[in-house]
Amino acid sequence: MVQFLIKRFIGLIFVVVGVTFITFILGYFAPGDPIRDLLGTHYNLQTYLALKHAYGLDLPWYTQYLRFLGNLFRFQFGYSFQYQNRSVASILAEGVPVSAELAFWALIIQVGVGVPLGIVSALRANTWIDTVNMGVMLVFFALPVFVLAVFVQVFIVWIDQHTGASWPVSQWGNAWQYTPTDISYKLAPILVFAAGGAAFFARLTRASMLEVLRQDYVRTARAKGLTERAVIYRHALRNGLIPLLTVVGLALGTLVTGAFFIENVFNIPGIGYETIISIGTRDYPVIQATVVLLAVGVVVGNLLADIFYSLADPRIKIQ
Amino acid sequence: MAENLLEVNNLKTYFFTRSGVVKAVDDISFVMKPGETLGVVGESGCGKSVTALSVMRLVTTPPGKIVGGEIVLSGENILEKSKDELTDIRGSKMSMIFQDPMSSLNPVFNIGFQIAETVKRHRKGISNDQAWKRAVEMLDLVRISDAKRRAKNFPHEFSGGMRQRVMIAIALACNPQLLIADEPTTALDVTIQAQVLELINGLSKEFGTAVMLITHDLGVVAGTCKYVNVMYAGHIVESAPVKQIFESPAHPYTVGLLASIPRLDGNRGEKLTPISGQPPDLGKEIIGCPYAPRCPRVQARCREERPTLQSTGHGDQVVACFYPY
Amino acid sequence: MDTKDKNPELSSPGVMFPDSSITPLEVDELMRPIDGVMRGIPLAEPGVEPDIEKAPLRKKSQTPLQESLRRLGRDKRAMASVGLIIFFILLAIVGPPIYQHIGGLYQSPINGPVGPSVYHSPFHQELTNQDLSFSSMYWLGTDDLGRDLLARLMQGILISLTVALLVEIVDVGLGVLVGVLAGYYGGWIDQVLARVTDIIFAFPGLLFAIMLTGIFGTEADVVFAPIPLIGANGDARLILVSLALALTVWPLMARFVRGQTLSLKEQQFVEAARTSGSSNAKIIFRHIVPNVFSIVIVASTLNISNTIIGEAGLSLLGLGVQTPGSSIGLMIAQGENNITGFPWEVLLPTIVLTIIVLSFSFLGDGLNDAFNPRSKD
Repeated sequence: MVQFLIKRFIGLIFVVVGVTFITFILGYFAPGDPIRDLLGTHYNLQTYLALKHAYGLDLPWYTQYLRFLGNLFRFQFGYSFQYQNRSVASILAEGVPVSAELAFWALIIQVGVGVPLGIVSALRANTWIDTVNMGVMLVFFALPVFVLAVFVQVFIVWIDQHTGASWPVSQWGNAWQYTPTDISYKLAPILVFAAGGAAFFARLTRASMLEVLRQDYVRTARAKGLTERAVIYRHALRNGLIPLLTVVGLALGTLVTGAFFIENVFNIPGIGYETIISIGTRDYPVIQATVVLLAVGVVVGNLLADIFYSLADPRIKIQ
Repeated sequence: MAENLLEVNNLKTYFFTRSGVVKAVDDISFVMKPGETLGVVGESGCGKSVTALSVMRLVTTPPGKIVGGEIVLSGENILEKSKDELTDIRGSKMSMIFQDPMSSLNPVFNIGFQIAETVKRHRKGISNDQAWKRAVEMLDLVRISDAKRRAKNFPHEFSGGMRQRVMIAIALACNPQLLIADEPTTALDVTIQAQVLELINGLSKEFGTAVMLITHDLGVVAGTCKYVNVMYAGHIVESAPVKQIFESPAHPYTVGLLASIPRLDGNRGEKLTPISGQPPDLGKEIIGCPYAPRCPRVQARCREERPTLQSTGHGDQVVACFYPY
Repeated sequence: MDTKDKNPELSSPGVMFPDSSITPLEVDELMRPIDGVMRGIPLAEPGVEPDIEKAPLRKKSQTPLQESLRRLGRDKRAMASVGLIIFFILLAIVGPPIYQHIGGLYQSPINGPVGPSVYHSPFHQELTNQDLSFSSMYWLGTDDLGRDLLARLMQGILISLTVALLVEIVDVGLGVLVGVLAGYYGGWIDQVLARVTDIIFAFPGLLFAIMLTGIFGTEADVVFAPIPLIGANGDARLILVSLALALTVWPLMARFVRGQTLSLKEQQFVEAARTSGSSNAKIIFRHIVPNVFSIVIVASTLNISNTIIGEAGLSLLGLGVQTPGSSIGLMIAQGENNITGFPWEVLLPTIVLTIIVLSFSFLGDGLNDAFNPRSKD
């Protein structure tokens, strides 16, 4: 186990280096001169050079990269170009709780609704329940998240216009608080965000369960006289859910990208939103920090998923 | 005369597929006495496995369905039992082991658990400890060495032969009256085959368990069974005590089967004589004797009328043929 | 044992793009643990083609390709999708010229008398005609700058399809090249591919493309503007967007191809070719490349769906084609501003996008089923 972890950790380091390097290089070659933009009309050579030095932008690229890397490990993401004297970390710190809350609830619904739906569909395979279920899931699965978001927004607006309600169509309430107002803000984005993922899990679980239910050991379990409940929920499910662990990486990936769209469409002030704004203002440190954070987060998530998978399936021997 | 343990009367199990109705088992009847070992022999597709599954009512429905007949186990008609009653019967009054031990065990549970599970299910009020003890006992019985420790191992840590023994342990844990073994040795090495068969035989004698042994291999039958049913195309074509099957087979199919087995004491250079032709398509209506197209003794009558099981006059031997040997 | 190694398809085009990580390919296909090999793709082995259908014996034997195409022809959903795709392609190419000849002279208060070639152009603004609903002049209405929505829609479709085409060219080109080399020769090429793949995969979803287009977008607008046809009207970014999306997906294609190459390498007909003295290059070109054909077709068709979504997504975030250009994603973003007033502005491009994406997905599914027939559960 330890050997495995070490090996994976080294791989992780390699990937992190690659990701940070690419992110850094893109920022390095980015067009425009942020210092000049900063100074605007107050440009004078001395201030320019001084500022450049302060930001460390006059060093050769490899030194800059090493500084970049070193800072990353200390969670220092530098200072924002746009908002002077504000550290990138503080900008992110505002967005992270919001994005985390959004992603958290979305994930809970995805798994908590998707998996049971998948199980139901598998148990009632090819009946009308299954067909309807999978049909709906297909739609949610195929629709891009921003398409669904738009539909929902249109729908909310229509409701507001016809019932006089004032269901908000954008913005977020207070992070991690749940007054009725907060909920009215958060319900739609979370559901929209969760829909695609739930559909994905439903389809996956269905397929996995169907595969498992065909297995000989399920027949053995029945031959032993176990109740159908025991056969399904003890023997079949244990095996059927294992493959879900392998898709955690995927789920995380889509969670991250989806967040960008949800936050933009619904004007939710999370890190995705901040990043898009930073792109518009060429605030590279923020962009870099977000990208690195998210990429590393996903990679670590993958690693954890692999570990759990090997724990869950006794056939896997860690080498 | 002892009561019949198992009576199968006019069993019909059909499969309703998109391309038509496949009559996998078409009106068969036989009996088994307590403690008896019955061999069921035939080619792939002759209906022997489906017979076994029908007795256990484990036929996949849909597309399969038991459409007629009776299956009476110790006086109770299995076909009339409710689902709940069936789960009580399976594993405790009758059990089954299957052909492929590699896939028949659940990979995520250790084998001790898988045995103990059956015990807990069928013995009310038994504690986990006692169930586990019984599991270890069973492992000893099927000659898995170091049973106590190995009970905690997972199926993938055992070889094929050992996994089959575990299956036997599971099947016999609650002392059933009938054990159905569907080609238990087909997937195993020849040397292991003998061991497993010996085990089944020994345990059956020790506990008085009747065994329905399904196989395509006549050699397997020779050493273990008391009676043999020969099946072809969903029918039983011959049924006799094992000695008579080998010494005086009556049905041309049985004769053909025996002739196609290589023998150590046969003449050198003697050619093997396989049975020519193919078994019939069970999805089509069969008129007359199903074996007629391949039978060396076929006459006109065979293609028009279907023969039923009649006594040959030698003891318990019955055969379904108009022109038996 | 990285998660992706277990199920490379699962880290398929989809990861890179929003939500529908994987297009509606039967998920159980993806469940098969593979070392990058998509099982069951029939290979061009002489005469060995399992005949799944109970078709009457044909006098003329068909190549596996012909059989697969026949199977595809029977798939109604796939055929309907092909029809829709052809419709949209025609709409995008032939539509604008036709539309620009329909309609009479219009007296514009601002621009004087203008003919349909002007007011039916996707770039022309009629500021007195903002946010109009359907009319005989503007078939699908106008947007907030008085531009004809139908014209913009057709332009948007054209852009989307062009991007998809460009991406696939790079995707297939690079993917097959590197994949075959990595699979056939192994060694350092394989190692490098694995590392590169790991790193690209580490960027979740569209993040890499977002970063690339975000940082270099405005520069690309300037640099590529001189290119005729593509560079004008804010479309210059097409190149960058295509590049960004292509870079994100080619490692996966390479992985698929590599896997298929690995299994092909062991096949007997390759051994036979080798023993009869064919050079490596010859083997690669005549035996291996044609046989990865089916997996490449299926994967790239499915990827088109994802590319279109990706491009729309990028445009939605303001990183893709810029105004005055038109892209479906951009139309959705712009339509968002007018949800309360004229919801069709946002619904129209959304619906069209959905239909196009689903069509390619179903076609990809159909192709997959055609190439690997199996009985449905």
